[in-house]
Amino acid sequence: MSQDLTYEQALEKLDEQLKLLEDGNLSLEGALKAVDEARVYLKICTERLDAARKKIEIRSEPEPAE
Amino acid sequence: MLKPEEAQRPYTVTELANEIRRELRPLTALLVKGEVTGMKQGTKGHYSFSIRDSQSLIGAFIYADDARRLTTLPEDGQVFIFRGRVDYWAQYGTLRFIVDQVEFDDIGKLRAQLEELKRRLEAEGAFAAERKRRLPFLPRTVALLTSPTGAVIHDLQETIWERYPNMGIVVYPVQVQGAAAPMSVARALRRCNQERAADVIVLARGGGSFEEMYAFNTELVARAILDSKLPVVTALGHTSDRTVADLVGDAECRTPTEAGARVVPKKSDLMAQLRERERRLERETTQRVNREIERIDLKRQRLLQTLPALVRHRVERLTRAAAELGRLSPVAQVARREEALRERRRRVESAAAARLVKSASTLAARRAPDRLERALAERFAGATRALAHRGERLVALSPDGVLARGYSITQDAESGAVIRSAAATAAGRRVRIRLGSGRIGAKVDEVER
Repeated sequence: MSQDLTYEQALEKLDEQLKLLEDGNLSLEGALKAVDEARVYLKICTERLDAARKKIEIRSEPEPAE
Repeated sequence: MLKPEEAQRPYTVTELANEIRRELRPLTALLVKGEVTGMKQGTKGHYSFSIRDSQSLIGAFIYADDARRLTTLPEDGQVFIFRGRVDYWAQYGTLRFIVDQVEFDDIGKLRAQLEELKRRLEAEGAFAAERKRRLPFLPRTVALLTSPTGAVIHDLQETIWERYPNMGIVVYPVQVQGAAAPMSVARALRRCNQERAADVIVLARGGGSFEEMYAFNTELVARAILDSKLPVVTALGHTSDRTVADLVGDAECRTPTEAGARVVPKKSDLMAQLRERERRLERETTQRVNREIERIDLKRQRLLQTLPALVRHRVERLTRAAAELGRLSPVAQVARREEALRERRRRVESAAAARLVKSASTLAARRAPDRLERALAERFAGATRALAHRGERLVALSPDGVLARGYSITQDAESGAVIRSAAATAAGRRVRIRLGSGRIGAKVDEVER
């Protein structure tokens, strides 16, 4: 599971695993694996929400060379 | 030659220069219309150029302070109306027109120029929808290119943080109008891309007249937006028509607040979205585990019911078999017979011994020769009896009787030893099996201890 997924990509993969689970025709092992994977993507999404750091930075124009 | 009354003291050049400047003093706050040529920016931000018409030309100059306040920076070949004063630059002995305000000569001509720029850009496909970049769904940082003070930056900041409290904001202060605006905006766009300071750019300013918005209608800004790798959202509050920047931008909003909402999702929505999925995940997990437990329980129930009966059944069969085995087993039978024979032999031998002792004593009483003869006869009779007795035993002991009932005796082909247990032989050895009638030669295939 590569960590550089965007929020949207991780969410999409999470939904894929949920659909598999909700379809209900997975073996027990298959289901457990899907649950684990889903949990990973859920973690990525949650972390992405807090990845942004509240800050305001003013990058003013360098004075033209005198 | 100068005439005597005129021969008062001659002016020095400086005096003459001052004289000229005094003469020029009325020529202030003049409006002059002409075309710009030779526009050059000086080191300290001053601009020097010439204004001309079809016959004449005059040098012109804009001090840096004035240049900053100009609504637009004159460019070569453009015709403007210049407001200013005539000045005599003593140091260089030149006459100049010091400009402090530039007016578009003709808004119409300017619009024509703008339309021409739009046509060119359109031909290049600069406005095409498929060229527009997708805004990141969830940026980590938003860049604001706007004037550092005023309502616009305040609205943007407030909207963004109200929707997404921990969003990073980077502000690139730019001039949004005046001669230096286009360069200021273009430079900020480039810097923002180079520094990769954000994931999306908002280019914003408040409402303004055609002239005040003009910076966003210049090719310089249009090119800078087109070259930007980061998507650009324009929020150029305008009452008049859309600027070129709006047309080439990746997303266009009417107001800073709308732009703030466009670049940043509502964090509360995203969190609700994740909680809902987490709930579904939990439900699926528990349901699946419960189903599995039920299945196992079912199996356990069935096992519990059938197991005791199964076990009892097995035990009974085993005990019966053991008993049966005990009764039928040839070894046990032979052992019992042997015991019986040993018993009988003991009795016979003790009787025979007693007889011998008795007859020995009677012999002693007779004479040797008939004693010898009798002894010999008895010895002979005893021998024949012993022999007959052994024959009997042989028949009784021989396994033929037992074999007749379907048992067999296996012997090792080589040594002839009777194989009583599986351990006494091994796979591959040759054996001879004696049956009720006849024999079989065989090779041991498999041994099961």
